[in-house]
Amino acid sequence: MDTHLMLGNEAVARGAWEAGVQVAAAYPGTPSTEIVANLAKYDGVYAEWSTNEKVGYEVAFGAAVGGVRALTAMKSAGASVAADPLISSVYTGICGGLVVIVAGDPGMSSGMTEQDDRYFGRISNMPMLEPADSQECHDFTRLAFALSETYDVPVMVRLSIQTAHQKSLVRVGERDAVARRDPGRHADKYCLLPKFSRPLHASLLARVARLRDYAEASPLTRVEPGTGAFARIGVVTSGAAYISAREALPGATFLKLGIVHPLPLEAIKRFAATVERLFVVEELEPYLEEQILAAGVAVEGKQWFSPLGELTPVRVGRGFYAAGLDLPRWAQQKAAEDDSVIPRPPVLCTGCPHRGMATAMKKLDLDVHGDIGCYDLTSLPPVSHMHAAVEMGASIPMEQGFTRAGGSKKGSLAVIGDSTFLHSGLTGLLNAVHQRTNVTVLIQDNSITAMTGGQTNPGNEKTLAGAQTKPVDLAGICRALGVEHIVTVDPYDYEACLEALKAGLACDGPAVIITNRPCMLFPRKVGADGIYEVDAELCNACQQCMKLGCPSMHHAAAVFKKRHKVDIDASTCTGCSLCAQLCTPGAIKKAGDA
Amino acid sequence: MSAKKAKTAPAASRTRGGKAAADPAARHYAGGVVDDIMVVGVGGQGVIVAAAIIADAALLHGGLEVKLSETRGMSQRGGSVSSHIRIGATVIAPSISPGEVDYLLAFEAAEGLRLAPSVVPGGVTIVNTQQIVPPLAAQGEHSYPFDAVARLDDGSRRLTVVDGNAVAAQVGDLRVAGVVLVGALSTHLPFAVETWERAIARNVPASWLEMNRAAFAAGRGVGDA
Repeated sequence: MDTHLMLGNEAVARGAWEAGVQVAAAYPGTPSTEIVANLAKYDGVYAEWSTNEKVGYEVAFGAAVGGVRALTAMKSAGASVAADPLISSVYTGICGGLVVIVAGDPGMSSGMTEQDDRYFGRISNMPMLEPADSQECHDFTRLAFALSETYDVPVMVRLSIQTAHQKSLVRVGERDAVARRDPGRHADKYCLLPKFSRPLHASLLARVARLRDYAEASPLTRVEPGTGAFARIGVVTSGAAYISAREALPGATFLKLGIVHPLPLEAIKRFAATVERLFVVEELEPYLEEQILAAGVAVEGKQWFSPLGELTPVRVGRGFYAAGLDLPRWAQQKAAEDDSVIPRPPVLCTGCPHRGMATAMKKLDLDVHGDIGCYDLTSLPPVSHMHAAVEMGASIPMEQGFTRAGGSKKGSLAVIGDSTFLHSGLTGLLNAVHQRTNVTVLIQDNSITAMTGGQTNPGNEKTLAGAQTKPVDLAGICRALGVEHIVTVDPYDYEACLEALKAGLACDGPAVIITNRPCMLFPRKVGADGIYEVDAELCNACQQCMKLGCPSMHHAAAVFKKRHKVDIDASTCTGCSLCAQLCTPGAIKKAGDA
Repeated sequence: MSAKKAKTAPAASRTRGGKAAADPAARHYAGGVVDDIMVVGVGGQGVIVAAAIIADAALLHGGLEVKLSETRGMSQRGGSVSSHIRIGATVIAPSISPGEVDYLLAFEAAEGLRLAPSVVPGGVTIVNTQQIVPPLAAQGEHSYPFDAVARLDDGSRRLTVVDGNAVAAQVGDLRVAGVVLVGALSTHLPFAVETWERAIARNVPASWLEMNRAAFAAGRGVGDA
């Protein structure tokens, strides 16, 4: 048997490939990015980075309606962006199988919220599978395609970050030969006019009822008998919480749910009758607990297991301990780390093209409405200068509303990256122009979707599939939307950044400033423009350069007037020159120019 | 290895009885023992590659279950990075619980100090002397613990201090420092040197293989000392 150590996300991709998937479309988003990134490596799959999650969903949906197996993947916030087609496509159903992967982030390792995506199952009635390890990611994804076609409905595979980003062993198989189905032409199925929608809703309820029967008898609804002292303790659980509960209380009797919508309530009732005490262990909201209680089964859950954050084994173990179970392993709360050691949060990389503008905006003391991108790190020390960073595309409409609210004395602006602008910034800018609101917008164009690991977007010359394409003209788009003041600026030129911001804020009418330096990581450029060094004789320890928060700048041992002089790490300096521009005594020079 | 966990973990069902006598790993992991190995450092130091080598060594040895979990989020941006590797006959959770680390492999001194409380009493700490001062240290609110190695060396733990950069420089390139540290860890795990070398070959470019093998051997020497 061919066995590999795989990320949950890699296993989803493998399972989809084996199931004969032909079209995969997604917008990158942690913790879901690796799914479509890996699918792009397989033969026989068309994979794309779409402009946003809604578009990605609709491309995959269109392919499924067109008769082939298709997949889309997204993070929690992406599922909210795609909620419209997500809900509507459950009514219409599909022709070829459609599988929707939604990867949540309990604990918010990188997400903006820790929304419980299982409720998408209830709000849409889309059936939902929840794998617990990489083998299940693989197996459940394969199964989801079959269920999708059997029950004529898109099927969601819901992941937690723990499941998506752990690695465990997977027995892989071969690719099924799946022929394209005849899509036909069916207005009564795919046109959601009231005349057609009403019977489709009734049909959906009938399909879900049949799926509930399937869930009741499915091997995915699995009882695992316990042993020893805790064998009469029953635990209903699924996904990542199942793994944590098994680690925390290995001897208990488990009802492991692989299908979390619709719930197999009869199987749960039968299971409850076999145990002395019944617990539900689930991450985030009491999703299972409330449905089980509503079915008339007494169960303990959220009084022991917090609705906040990731349910790690220790947090589940502590919950069982608090519930009175004799568990010496979890009797004490142990420290995971020494919090007194200097924190090491992520920072803007050496040479990051966002740094110059961030420093200039701080210098001008502007109110900054950010968006979703690496520039959000400027809300943290050492820059600590960003007022809001909430969701994709929010920056421009929020800046418009802030301006309508009266704005601020020193000025305010919206900051958005190229990929986010193309994802959902365009409509906000168009609205601000149409409403004749005097907004200032900074598009930090680093020519890549950087924060998720360097994925392509319409600003690039190549697609995910490697095809040559025409890069979009951001200034041209803004002009077409009606913006007249459009300035392109080099973000490595600090004075030019200051001037561009001042001119944009002073402009009577909407203004757009576009920076033009690519990300330093994708592709990686170290020392590309010649590096800089500090002349220790000239350095007067004024600390101006240290305000940049550059990871390559350190305090030297030498001290001047009780302050440390500075030093530049030659192995990581990229030569962006911002520190030299800020250096008042002229101590920072291009290496070799001394 | 954690004797404490041996009591609660399921019995080692996948170990082939006939192999047990000859295979040091079968003895090592008998009775449900799981090795909890944590590799920590700073983004860009090669923590992820080191974890992959360790996991592959266990996989190539055969008959063992391996699970891994890694720091999530924006670790690429110079933040703290950690990787958990769990090896045993049967492994359930992919992440190590607080206070249960059997082997802490710290690529950076302050990161070693940060994670030291997570090591089980009697566990092994291997710390690289390299110090990477974060930009925050220049802001005055926090100071970098330049005495991290001395604070770790307080007699309360099994500690191996490695000057990974010096050893790597001797071998030929600073970039193989991570494999020096893997070499220092390797003496504690029941896998043959040739198994480790195959695991390294899987995870480094072919043109770097010889230098990485030399780095591993040098690190192994430090671990033995």
